[in-house]
Amino acid sequence: MQTQLLSRPTLATQLRALFVIARKDWKVFWRYPLNAVSNVFQPIIWVTPIYFMGKAFSTNGQATGFAAYSGTGDYMSFILIGTVLSNFILTVFWGMGNALKEDMDAGVLESNWLTPVSRLLILVGRTLTSLLTTSITSLVMLAIAAALFGFRPTGNTVAALLTTIPMLLGLYGFGFAFAAIVLIMRDANTIIDVSSFLVQGLSGANFPVRSLPYWLIPISLMLPLTYGFDAVRGWLLKTSTLLPLRTEVLLLIIFMFVTLWLGAWVFYRVERRVRTLGTLGQH
Amino acid sequence: MRSEMSVFSSLGKPGFLSEIQAFIAITRREWTIFRRYPSWIIALLIWPLIFPMMYILTGRALSGPDGSGLAVFTKTTGATDFIGYIVIGTTVWMWQNIVLWDVGFSLRNEQMRGTLESNWLSPTWRFSYLLGHTGPQIISMAMFVLITAVEFGLLFGVKLHGSIWLAALVMLASIPAVYGLGFAFASLVITLKEAHAFVFLVRGLVMIFCGITFPISLLPGWMQSVAAWLPQTYMIHGMRAAAFANASLTDLWPDLRALILFGAFWLTVGYLLFTWMERRARQTGAIGQY
Repeated sequence: MQTQLLSRPTLATQLRALFVIARKDWKVFWRYPLNAVSNVFQPIIWVTPIYFMGKAFSTNGQATGFAAYSGTGDYMSFILIGTVLSNFILTVFWGMGNALKEDMDAGVLESNWLTPVSRLLILVGRTLTSLLTTSITSLVMLAIAAALFGFRPTGNTVAALLTTIPMLLGLYGFGFAFAAIVLIMRDANTIIDVSSFLVQGLSGANFPVRSLPYWLIPISLMLPLTYGFDAVRGWLLKTSTLLPLRTEVLLLIIFMFVTLWLGAWVFYRVERRVRTLGTLGQH
Repeated sequence: MRSEMSVFSSLGKPGFLSEIQAFIAITRREWTIFRRYPSWIIALLIWPLIFPMMYILTGRALSGPDGSGLAVFTKTTGATDFIGYIVIGTTVWMWQNIVLWDVGFSLRNEQMRGTLESNWLSPTWRFSYLLGHTGPQIISMAMFVLITAVEFGLLFGVKLHGSIWLAALVMLASIPAVYGLGFAFASLVITLKEAHAFVFLVRGLVMIFCGITFPISLLPGWMQSVAAWLPQTYMIHGMRAAAFANASLTDLWPDLRALILFGAFWLTVGYLLFTWMERRARQTGAIGQY
């Protein structure tokens, strides 16, 4: 007996599904406009203590100690770049795992799973709106922060933007693996919170990794994001980088392919297991 | 018949003892729920360490390889222990943040679970629901502070240069202000429903104005004036002075007095907002809506 699928999934239908998911999230996001305001001001609130702390470490407005580690005394531009990149990292890290959790709680995960759409595509779709809104809110945040604290990128903006592409795509691989953890654990808030905070911290979101205690530096150098933060700052602020810039970009491209493959593999393994156990709809 | 109808007799016989029993039952339930989700152990062990760590590591970077920046920081702040200075500021911030989420959203969580309305029908003093949430919260926060002290003492060699009892006294004096704010917040959340942005606002105020990682004197004048109206400013100042500057009770008195006054103010505001919310919710029937 031959089974015949009624659905005819094509590239066009998959892309349409992607667009529909993004449009739905776009509507939901703007339904709560306070969230957009919060997304703009939260990062500014977080960097304000660092701004004043930096003043306490500076003489005549010059953070000379910081410059010795990073190659720039402009610690606020250094930190603001880290903050913007962290926004995008959080979007991908949280985005997919959180989206799955929301669908579980709302009771729509199982029905979404029955649609003839690639499951990875459903996950990717849930990040598209977030990436767009993160871009908008980050630009507004950067404009306000520039007025408040000063932001002076003097380097190659295009090269910096191109460098972020393999970094963000590589993060999707991490995101797939985290989504798999959510499928198993159902509530992975603590794990996502702690791990994203640690990964960002140890990758040098707020400081040059050279300043870490010696026993933390090997961990930091093992994280691909370290080279992402370092390279983007190298392009934009002409800071002294850990490795030559081209080597760091090459590492990011390798990281992108490896994590995408590994993340997708982990996700499909776990997803099959969850379907076998019949626990997909449980939360 | 008429006289019988006019006198309503409740089956419940609320008295002081029954109120105490209700309070204990609520506390026990909260404690059971708290222990049911073991991920709190990870949170309790890791957050006290990694949140201050990010500021400490940033400070380390600002110090420079030769520590020249740290010398400037010590001169500016008068702090002899940079790590201890940051840990106290960030711990106070985390304390207020956790109270806003835990106590502030306690009634809202009941509402989301669908149990608030049925609880409201019991012949219990309704403020007990908030007080009942507060007991286990204070215990878990005491554990949080203790773990912070042990972790930074063992891993970073942070040593007290003052009195542990006076530091504890400042914390004790802070409880009414911290939890009064939580009570006020809980009443607002039950009325406004989705109030995450307000948590971000309140904790943001503490983060910007109260000097969690820097001395208030570095702020512009208008920001210092705002800081003077936030109890967390006095908590942070008092605890730093008690733990690391060997301050006496007399030295601490201005901070303690401010904390007591803020405590009385926020407890009153919290209680009044609660009674207002309770009356409004009964009139509009909004208690079960979410």
